Amino acid sequence: MTDQPVRIAQLSCGPEHSGVQKEIYDAAAAVNAEMFFPDVTLTDIRRSYDAFGLEARSGDLKLAIGRAMALVEGKVEADAVFIATCFRCAEAAIVRNELRHYIHEHSDLPVVSYSFTERTTSGTLLTRMEALTTIARRRALLAREEQKGTTMGVDSGSATTKAVIMRDNEIIGTGWLPTTEVLNSANGAIEAALKEAGLEMADIEAFGTTGYGRYLVGEKLGADLIQEELTVNSKGAVYLADRQHGEATVIDIGGMDNKAISVQDGIPGTFTMGGICAGASGRFLEMTAKRIGVDITELGPIAMKGISKTVPMNSYCIVFGTQSLVNALAEGSSREDVAAAACRSVAEQVFEQQLQEVDIKEPVIMVGGTSLIEGLVHEMGDLLQTEILVPHHSQYIGAVGSALLASGFIEEK
Amino acid sequence: MAKVFIFPATSLILSDMVERWGHEALGAATGIRERIQTASLDSPPLQMTPEDPKKGLKYAAVEVPCGVRGRMALYGPLIEEADAAIIINDADLSFGCMGCARTNELVMFMIRQRKGLPVLDIKYPETDDEGFAFVSQIKEFLAGLGGESDD
Amino acid sequence: MKESEYIPTYVGTITKYVFIDSPDTTPQTLLIRAYEISDGLMIKETCFGLQVTGVPEKVKKLITELRTVDPAHIFVKDRGFLPGDPRRCRANLGGARPGYYGHEFESGLFRYISHGLEELEKNTAPTVTRLGKKRLDEGKLPPNRLLEIIRNEEA
Repeated sequence: MTDQPVRIAQLSCGPEHSGVQKEIYDAAAAVNAEMFFPDVTLTDIRRSYDAFGLEARSGDLKLAIGRAMALVEGKVEADAVFIATCFRCAEAAIVRNELRHYIHEHSDLPVVSYSFTERTTSGTLLTRMEALTTIARRRALLAREEQKGTTMGVDSGSATTKAVIMRDNEIIGTGWLPTTEVLNSANGAIEAALKEAGLEMADIEAFGTTGYGRYLVGEKLGADLIQEELTVNSKGAVYLADRQHGEATVIDIGGMDNKAISVQDGIPGTFTMGGICAGASGRFLEMTAKRIGVDITELGPIAMKGISKTVPMNSYCIVFGTQSLVNALAEGSSREDVAAAACRSVAEQVFEQQLQEVDIKEPVIMVGGTSLIEGLVHEMGDLLQTEILVPHHSQYIGAVGSALLASGFIEEK
Repeated sequence: MAKVFIFPATSLILSDMVERWGHEALGAATGIRERIQTASLDSPPLQMTPEDPKKGLKYAAVEVPCGVRGRMALYGPLIEEADAAIIINDADLSFGCMGCARTNELVMFMIRQRKGLPVLDIKYPETDDEGFAFVSQIKEFLAGLGGESDD
Repeated sequence: MKESEYIPTYVGTITKYVFIDSPDTTPQTLLIRAYEISDGLMIKETCFGLQVTGVPEKVKKLITELRTVDPAHIFVKDRGFLPGDPRRCRANLGGARPGYYGHEFESGLFRYISHGLEELEKNTAPTVTRLGKKRLDEGKLPPNRLLEIIRNEEA
């Protein structure tokens, strides 16, 4: 990469004393970004602290407030902002959220906030840093609204691998396989998509990869674009939902982690990505389907027939969630109600754990495989008090986003 | 010569006062120097690693944020080692190693829990008279700890 | 990601910041004096004075000597890092290290401390109120006094 490093301003309390700062540095370096600490004076800190009005007691949080105001006021230049504080610190959580909101409202800077523990590794931070740098560095690429030529997108996800072939703004082939061995699954999905499109690999003019296996698949198969799923999915979502202009919120409940992205004109502004607890993931719905003896594709319609509130189930942990599920069935609850409750539980976890970290702006677009579970979409809409959009091909969102963005590389060839 | 824990542990004035009158100040620099001068995994900037929050479990439970436990791993041993302590009670503008209010509450509590540890409570001077009160109280306190003095 | 080993340098040394805040002595004067008596110690000039690094005994000796130049206006602080350490250097961090703001705050109080030290030296200052820890209810109006005020108002 010959680009200038993207300069990410760090607003934080605690990483240096938790052994996490090096992980932040490493994650940034891996995507050609550099962390820096906005330079302010003691006078700036006192003034900003008073002006901001949030009476934090911790010195480092006062400093973070001062630095945030310097960024918003343009006294210090940055390409993106990373806010990090200790997990389980209430004072820091309040400051972190208010600063995230403040920067998002008053500047164009992409922001991600994160609460770390001493176990946080650079690997965990990598996707977030990559998304931050992409938004900062590749605004032109992300501005693409139309797919051109013949391109392919591959989404090598934690649970499933998807491939999509597009030609002149149309999806002409799709492929889908559970992810087992990453490369084999990718090859299988690509083969299926090519077959449906009636094309061969040589016909593909450009292609992109995303998802957990993006580097492995992208490097082995020579992808033009290897891109994390935060920017790709939000791009794919607004493209398929035809909401490329103005505000939108994209929710993707994945097999292993969830993403909530606040989008402005197709470009992510703030986003969160979580995946500590499986009770808030697609995995839990898979387990529910298995336990009540239906295919995952049937879970949604069954859930729509049930009443979620009749079964108590609200657990961030997949083990506790399964216990509630087993208990409810043992007590004679109908499988419809149990299915609905499971959808409600996942929706509530995502709402409580992640949607608090972004500003929900309508329309809310749900994508990813779980968006096909209509019971889940219904419960999420109920929680957010809004009609949720689920675009066509929403389960192929990463692959579509990749194929769309990859068409930017055709002209370069 | 007595070992005097200073609070804020990053205080330049307390570090000066304690050493000016012949004693050893135990503060953030003491703990950081130890880490900077010890071979270990590379963990810039402070050479504090994920092991520090684990060591901090001696002073705070696992549900206490890692930043508090990490900082406690820095200060806990120093407080245990101290012969006396000086606390500035209105240190609101302390950052970095003293940048976490929760840690600072726990540090002060730990100092007060050490039975028989001489503690001087003081505040930052805001006038010339208070400046005199500040230095004379510290000098008197330190003289009471024994050891050499410039008198 | 990559775990690399950290090999420390200058093990066994200590570093001290020496701040000068005086109407009579400039940082340069202090620096020249420090070089004169440096005895092989590492000395680095800074905007507020200097930093000195070396074995503890030699550093202490130099500090004791330097303090005599202007005792009430020289302040010395212990430092964990060596001067110019890239991990703490402003040029690398983009902004000041957090400890800098603490120095900035406390150096604003030097004048009161200097005054105190001078008075102490003269040994003529009157005794003043002792500074201590503020109690939780300090400065609050006692209930009896409040009742008294209300009664007086009503009267």
